[in-house]
Amino acid sequence: MEPVLKVQGLVVDFGAVRAVDGFDLSVGAGTSVALIGRNGAGKSTTMRVLGGVLPPSAGSVMVAGADAAKQPSEVRAAVGYCPDVGGLIPRATPWEHLQLAARLRELPAGWEERGRELLERFELAGVADRITAGFSHGMGRRLSVVLAAFHEPRVLLLDEPFDGVDPLGVDATMAVVREARATGTAVLLSTHLLHLAVEACNEAVVLKGGRVVGAAPAAELVGEDGRERYRMLIS
Amino acid sequence: MNARSQVWALVRLRWTLVRSPYVRIGLLTSAALVPYLGFLALLTRSQIDKDALAAAVGAAPAALLGFGVLAVVAPLTGGVSELVPSDQLVAYPVRPATQFVSSLILAPINLVWFVQILVLTAETGYLTLGSPHLAWAGLTSLLFVLACTCAGQALAWAVTGLCHNRRGRLAMRSTAVVVALAAVLVVRTGHGGDVVDQSFGPTVADALRAGGRGDVGGWLPVTAALALAAVLALWLGVLACRWALRLPPDRGAERTSREVRRRRTPDTAYQALVATDRASVWRAPALRRGALVLAIMPGVAAAGVGLPWKSLVFLPGLVAAGGGLLFGFNAFCLDGSGAVWVASMPHSPGLVARAKARVTGEAVLLGATLAAVIGSMRATGLPTLTQAMAMVSSVLGCSALVVALCLSLAVRKPYRADLNGPRDSVAPPGALVLTSARLVFPAAVVAGILEVAAASPHWWLPVALALGVTLLSSASISRTLRRYDEPLLRSRIVQVVSAG
Repeated sequence: MEPVLKVQGLVVDFGAVRAVDGFDLSVGAGTSVALIGRNGAGKSTTMRVLGGVLPPSAGSVMVAGADAAKQPSEVRAAVGYCPDVGGLIPRATPWEHLQLAARLRELPAGWEERGRELLERFELAGVADRITAGFSHGMGRRLSVVLAAFHEPRVLLLDEPFDGVDPLGVDATMAVVREARATGTAVLLSTHLLHLAVEACNEAVVLKGGRVVGAAPAAELVGEDGRERYRMLIS
Repeated sequence: MNARSQVWALVRLRWTLVRSPYVRIGLLTSAALVPYLGFLALLTRSQIDKDALAAAVGAAPAALLGFGVLAVVAPLTGGVSELVPSDQLVAYPVRPATQFVSSLILAPINLVWFVQILVLTAETGYLTLGSPHLAWAGLTSLLFVLACTCAGQALAWAVTGLCHNRRGRLAMRSTAVVVALAAVLVVRTGHGGDVVDQSFGPTVADALRAGGRGDVGGWLPVTAALALAAVLALWLGVLACRWALRLPPDRGAERTSREVRRRRTPDTAYQALVATDRASVWRAPALRRGALVLAIMPGVAAAGVGLPWKSLVFLPGLVAAGGGLLFGFNAFCLDGSGAVWVASMPHSPGLVARAKARVTGEAVLLGATLAAVIGSMRATGLPTLTQAMAMVSSVLGCSALVVALCLSLAVRKPYRADLNGPRDSVAPPGALVLTSARLVFPAAVVAGILEVAAASPHWWLPVALALGVTLLSSASISRTLRRYDEPLLRSRIVQVVSAG
């Protein structure tokens, strides 16, 4: 079966700095892959390319059959992206974010119900009309996950979704990942919290210096042996 | 580390953070230009004709009062500037005196202050023309500038502290309304001249004259009082700064997370982007306050002076440039870190830039129109057809020009800006000065040409000129929108404005 997300030889340069250096990845429908690695390994930059925010310098990125370099709009239509930092318009409310997303994504009538339901699940319904600038970091992260999952995308990109999030928020995010997989969505999740990565994903890919240095079933990174193996890969 | 060392360390850090050599050269050139132009004004003062000299000397008290008012109002409207934002310094033992002096250092870094200083220098020269002791008057002028600037910054810090809670904000808003109403009343009743006569303006002007003559009795008391006022304002400023910085920040946060009325879902993506951008402007305390002041103050000042119709044509140009300086030249910062999220959604890339251009245009046009309307409240009689056409042309032409310049700057040189607090600035201080020059000079040239055209017997002349400017501006806007279609440039803007 053709993978939903297929990356070959991805290179991203920022001037003289090479942030991603020949990254390869293949994620099938209903699969969740954890992208793990040290700070500066190129995880977030890769996510930004896959989310259609950053054009690739070289390589091929196919998302749901669309080429990221030639069909960025189709890629964005297929993707739901939770950026690593912020990702929220500071003086807009959660509901206004949903309204904007509904219009930019041309969602059919009835999107309000899905929006309300997600806000309820992430315990944000009570602050749906509050400006996000005053939100705590964890609340902001939860809302970013809501916005990524809102339109039930074919590819769900979650960059540090658990950062600063309380256990109930983590549970809600885990549930979203499970449901996405069940409906055939390919999930790519980046986090420094290995135990959560293992819990949410069935595969793990380790990045170092902008390229993949290891890949394994997530179950093999469980426990002290798994942690040791991970340490060896990233050091 | 004492306050002086800390200030020096912060100045060096700030200078290091100015990465662009062009900005550095621009700042140094601006700093050198003010004394140079001041020197030129003093050198050429003897060549001014008799009538012009009499008019300039007569206007000296008003100019002194104007400087005093602006020195106090400017920091109140734009908030206190900081070399390094205080929230980035919370982990360090930075003294309040350091914070206050650093805001004082930044106070002169704006175009209005530069122009005012040149006016004061020229007025000092005219008041002492033919007198032997220019240096005495110069010292008085210097102390006057110092006292006003310190007082303005001290008041701004006190207001910053007061605005930390709801009661304080209510008190400040009520005071602002009362002051605005009083200003309108003074203007409407034609008592502007009386206010100038009763102010410190004539006293300081007399002291400048006395200083020039070497009359110690007339010069020394006022000069000593100004020195005392400067020291007092400095001391009070440090106290106000210490008090404002000690207040718990969470009270300010309450305001930024307040609940707002839910609006109807816009019909199209473009309308949704425009609505989001409008909300981003009006919900930013610094932008809201700046927009209101910009819309009302210049018009009230023009009406206070009682500008004739012909001169009023110039006003919309300046106000339009001020409107662009509010946020337009860095319009993409309105999305903050949400720019990444917006960029990840499927839409025509030009939509985002078009929405920014529209909201900038609305702010600029509203400011210029209100200034023109309020400013004309005390203009004598009805305007001629040409003058009326020139006014309308000035509002529309200058607004189009400023929007075009702003959009081009926003795409070329974006900055990250939070704009959540009342003290947040849309760009670093140095960039603000250079941008103000980039916006004000072209707008002033166009407004100046239209002012000349207002005296023409042909009503169509200002219309034709403004039409040309508008067409050129539209072409520039189209060019910038095409540039924005470039994915690499767009992603660079997103990276800059969303940087955490």
